[in-house]
Amino acid sequence: MAFLLTCPNCGDRSVYEFRFGGELTQRPKPDSSSNDWTSYFYDRRNAAGTQKEWWYHKFGCRKWIVAARNTITNEVSETAWPDLG
Amino acid sequence: MTKLKAAPRLDPHPTQLIDRSASIEFAFGGRPVQAFEGDTVASALYAAGVRTFSRSFKYHRPRGLLCVAGRCPNCLVNVDGVPNVRSCTEAARPGMNVTSQNAWPSLDRDILSVLDRFGPLMPVGFYYKTFHRPKLFWRLAQPIIRRVAGLGKIDVDSAHPAGYAHQNLHTDVAVVGGGATGISAALSANLGAAVTLIDDSPVLGGHLRFDTTSHSVVPSVDPSPGFEVAAELVRQVRSSAGITVLSNSVAFGLYEDNLLGVLTTDRLVKRRAGRIVMATGSIEQPLVFDGNDRPGVMLSSGAQRLVRLYGVKPGETAVVATATNEGYAAALDLHNAGVRVAALVDTRPEPAWGALPDAVRAAEIPTLVSHAVTLAEGRAEVKAAVVQKLEGGVPIGERQRLACDIICMSGNLEPADALVRQSGGLDIPKNVYAAGSVAGAGNLAQAVDQGRQAGTLAAGSSSELPLAGSSPPERAAPFLSGKKSFVCFCEDISTADIDQAIDEGFDDIQTLKRYSTVTMGPCQGKMCHAAVAAISARATGKSLSEVGSTTSRPPLQPVPMSALAGRVHLPIKRTPMDRKHIDLGAKMVDLGPWRRPFSYGSPQDESISVRERVGIIDVSTLGKLDVRGPDSPALLDKVYTHNFSGLRNGRIRYGVLCADNGTIMDDGTVTRLADDRYFITTTSGNVESIEEWFKWWMAGTDIEAYVTNVTSGFAAINVAGPKARETLSKLTDIDLSTDGFRYMRSKEGVVAGVPSVLLRIGFVGETGWEVHFPGEFGEHMWDALMDAGRDFGIAPFGLEAQRILRLEKGHIIVGQDTDIVSTPLDSDMEWVVRFEKEDFIGRGGLVAARDRGLTNKLVGFRMRDGTVPDDGDPIVDRGQPIGKVTSARLSPTIGKGFGLAWVPVELAEEGRNISIRIAGADVPATVSLTPVYDSEGKRLKE
Repeated sequence: MAFLLTCPNCGDRSVYEFRFGGELTQRPKPDSSSNDWTSYFYDRRNAAGTQKEWWYHKFGCRKWIVAARNTITNEVSETAWPDLG
Repeated sequence: MTKLKAAPRLDPHPTQLIDRSASIEFAFGGRPVQAFEGDTVASALYAAGVRTFSRSFKYHRPRGLLCVAGRCPNCLVNVDGVPNVRSCTEAARPGMNVTSQNAWPSLDRDILSVLDRFGPLMPVGFYYKTFHRPKLFWRLAQPIIRRVAGLGKIDVDSAHPAGYAHQNLHTDVAVVGGGATGISAALSANLGAAVTLIDDSPVLGGHLRFDTTSHSVVPSVDPSPGFEVAAELVRQVRSSAGITVLSNSVAFGLYEDNLLGVLTTDRLVKRRAGRIVMATGSIEQPLVFDGNDRPGVMLSSGAQRLVRLYGVKPGETAVVATATNEGYAAALDLHNAGVRVAALVDTRPEPAWGALPDAVRAAEIPTLVSHAVTLAEGRAEVKAAVVQKLEGGVPIGERQRLACDIICMSGNLEPADALVRQSGGLDIPKNVYAAGSVAGAGNLAQAVDQGRQAGTLAAGSSSELPLAGSSPPERAAPFLSGKKSFVCFCEDISTADIDQAIDEGFDDIQTLKRYSTVTMGPCQGKMCHAAVAAISARATGKSLSEVGSTTSRPPLQPVPMSALAGRVHLPIKRTPMDRKHIDLGAKMVDLGPWRRPFSYGSPQDESISVRERVGIIDVSTLGKLDVRGPDSPALLDKVYTHNFSGLRNGRIRYGVLCADNGTIMDDGTVTRLADDRYFITTTSGNVESIEEWFKWWMAGTDIEAYVTNVTSGFAAINVAGPKARETLSKLTDIDLSTDGFRYMRSKEGVVAGVPSVLLRIGFVGETGWEVHFPGEFGEHMWDALMDAGRDFGIAPFGLEAQRILRLEKGHIIVGQDTDIVSTPLDSDMEWVVRFEKEDFIGRGGLVAARDRGLTNKLVGFRMRDGTVPDDGDPIVDRGQPIGKVTSARLSPTIGKGFGLAWVPVELAEEGRNISIRIAGADVPATVSLTPVYDSEGKRLKE
């Protein structure tokens, strides 16, 4: 693993400056069913292909970013500030 | 021992690297060897008459020089305790101690060479087949095989060098390969970019620097011998300020986004390049015939290197076997060096044409077309070559025996494309350009031209199509099948072994590789990949492109583990009072990143001192977060299970952070300093991840709060004990009275002249204050407190005393008393969870846990006899483990063992009997739900 991530704040940086934060998930509403919560805690899509995921620029600006990464090729097609709407 | 006698060298020539005026001496197997400055270990040894350089991996066959270019496994030696050094690229240095490896008692008489006669015991894939039955046989054979297997021995007792440094560098353009192509690329690229030129030789120029034929490739220079062209190119590189040259440097790996792993003599360089030009050239392949591994059988380029670079005469009589015109150049070089060329044996069906074959004819070197060497006679040295006529690639007819002491062989030139193929796909990755013979250039002019083009493209910002790579030639040098016709010199694999493996069903080149281990040795396929592909093609009836190639992976060349590991970096965080602890003779422990005092002598005495008088402990390691902004109350209500928006200014509340599934992540105190400002402490090792955690829950939201990690900016000392108030009063005007400064309150003020934040909390269960202040006053504050408390018998206490004291109060340590599945509910802290809040991180999981009901619970226990369990001892019921002790100590208060433990919920009741297995014996204990010390909590509020 040696790819670069473009931090919206700092520019192109080695992936080793970042902490991986997992794929983006949708947190259930507070009154959701126990099944929905359990699925949110433990189930992941584990996509073979491009997925949106969290990265934290630990040895840089210490901000969270979202990257679209192909999990097979490690090609990062997009990085951006998170926008959870 | 007697000196190895060196044969006289050839006449001096400009291509030679040796300095005959500088004589040096080193030892080989204890015997002195004479060398010149500029020699490699191998060239000096060869000149001194050494022919056997190593013993082969499996059969312990004698092996001599093969490639003389640092690619094959044949010349591996041990140099000054470092195993597997390539003697053909290792510069000879005075006093170095060179020894052979993989041979006992000596290279010439290696007892394990009997293995050569027991080939049937070790068929291809033998580790899957033999020594398995009966089972006892494997148990007997395994230790022997283990000892015999492997190449070289690591001397664990030898004094190790400091280790390789790691360097991270960037460059606009990296050029791999310092031959004519690479230099041309670097020069062109340097017109518009900073360039790094990476070359594995000590001297730039590639094979051109020992080429004596005439070339006209540099426009300003008349046609001149190759070595002069090379010298001119090197001169141009040296005078280019924008080109950084890394010599003796192997680019062993191509990783994502153009990261090159480069091994230099003392560093591992991770070089990120905007564009990369691959000018890695091509590799002359061995021919495959019986005995092609005998010492004296070498690549023709290897013989040329001996002659041209080191002035070493490779032998007296040579037979040159070739499949290309390269062999003609070698035959001429040998002829001119005074070696009698008994025959030039060309496997090609038609007579060759061009300048080189003409020169060979003019020199009257006997040439046999459509012939092949089919056998090298001899054992430790070649005695003769057996030559036969070929028809359709098959030897037929009379066996002609030609006496000789060297056989030079020249198979196809295979593109050295393993590095570029490491990208995984069939296509050249973007921003990587291939040029020169690796990309199929047929001659020097073409190669230089490709180099220039690639350099220009690499320097430009245009995204023009990269140059295409070459496809492997659809022709293969002929090979012969035999048990001793070696394809793979690294792992002793013959054509017969490959044929057998294919017969057994491993007919895909990838599985063939895994089964036979061909291409998996130190040369990583450089000497064998083409032959394996050709044999597979013949056996399976496929074309070479259908057979394909094995996957190329880093490292291209063997890389020492110490280079990958780098130097040992164990950074330790020291608190601002570290020197005070050292002066006091504290026993220090490493905890996470921190070095902390474990104890200053007796943890029990330190505990008693806190309980009866006053103690201070350095708690600077606590994680400290400054949270401010209008939405900070909302942020804390979200991430903590507790309520913090309702906390009044100047008050402190204990808080637990849970993951969203309800398990405990961390705990600490939260102090509200102002409406929009909180001061948070976390456990010592966790602050980084808690900072990330807070920020994660803010990311992409409109929460306006600012989290700053101020851990290293602040020092902190906890002053605790019945005399804490008197001690601290001497240093501050702050009202510390019971009513003026109550438990779980905070104040800002000046202590010992230093602006501080005081938190009145009671982790150890006594009246006490945590004093937080700027780190630069650490030693000053420590001294001030020690002075102020002297009259009251103040004593510093360490981590161990703190653990005893907090345990007596039943205060948990996250990570010690809780684990990855513990929740506040089963950790007996339901009171920190505010289910009435509409939402907080962990609510979903905790609601589920509450509805499910508890299975286990964290409880206190006390021993009935004098035993003290260890942390981690199991709780047992009729021999079965049902829980575990998380913390246990001897209590100074009750004089007995006690602690915290996880037990099934039905046992989590006051007075229940449990059994703890301590050192094999089941010892009774009693569940106790009240703290050992001050169960009503009066002391810490006094």
